[in-house]
Amino acid sequence: MSLAYLKTAIAEGDSEKLIRYVRLHFGDGNEARGAKEIDKAWIEALKPLLEIPPTDREFILQTLAEKDAATLAHLFFHLHFYFVGRSGEWIHDGNL
Amino acid sequence: MAISEQGKELRPGLWETVNERYPGSMITKTDLVPLAKLSKPLCEARLAFVSTAGVQPKGTLPFDTVHPVGDYSFRRVPSASKPADLEIHQLKYPTFGAKRDLNVIFPIERLRDLVTEKFIGSLTENFFSFIGYNMDPERLERNLAEEIAAAVEAENPDVALLAPA
Repeated sequence: MSLAYLKTAIAEGDSEKLIRYVRLHFGDGNEARGAKEIDKAWIEALKPLLEIPPTDREFILQTLAEKDAATLAHLFFHLHFYFVGRSGEWIHDGNL
Repeated sequence: MAISEQGKELRPGLWETVNERYPGSMITKTDLVPLAKLSKPLCEARLAFVSTAGVQPKGTLPFDTVHPVGDYSFRRVPSASKPADLEIHQLKYPTFGAKRDLNVIFPIERLRDLVTEKFIGSLTENFFSFIGYNMDPERLERNLAEEIAAAVEAENPDVALLAPA
């Protein structure tokens, strides 16, 4: 099973299997494209910070302090797609 | 397979990765339940429709298309809904056709037409929709499938039409 496959990979410390899964998820089955999507999200996350605008660090720190790791991990996946969407280059067939 | 309007594969190489991406994700059944025989003619039967298209009424919580292990919830879609009252939340199949005519993936108006033509007796008040990206087949089978089955049964259908997206 796929979930068991991932859990086994975690137990065995097989990082390659895990990151490949993430790339395939983000790339809709295309690993190279998924890797590019990850890069794209980070580039888009970098851009708004270059002018050092004010940001709501209290919100960030409070969220990190108060929310559980699963919620934050889920948010992390949401943020990936959010920044990919901001890039204007949407590779996916559907929408969020 | 995802094919564009130009007849080209939209995601080349996808199928070469499926076995590695989804190892063992197919549910293997050894205790198959035989299909129930229709108890009355289709023209007298009440039909329920179950789809993996990710179609849902506007304003309901969007299906979780970002979660790496999938979404195990379903939505009720009133069978009287207008396509304009519905939307699609999923990432894994092309929706350019469905955005022009939802019926190509979720034939809600065509089923109503068949009732009007007396080919089908009637429709259940609600149809049912979920997304097909579920990487935990055990949870899919034990939870989501059971919940949908109970919800369908509560609508007292005589027949259920199941359609993968």
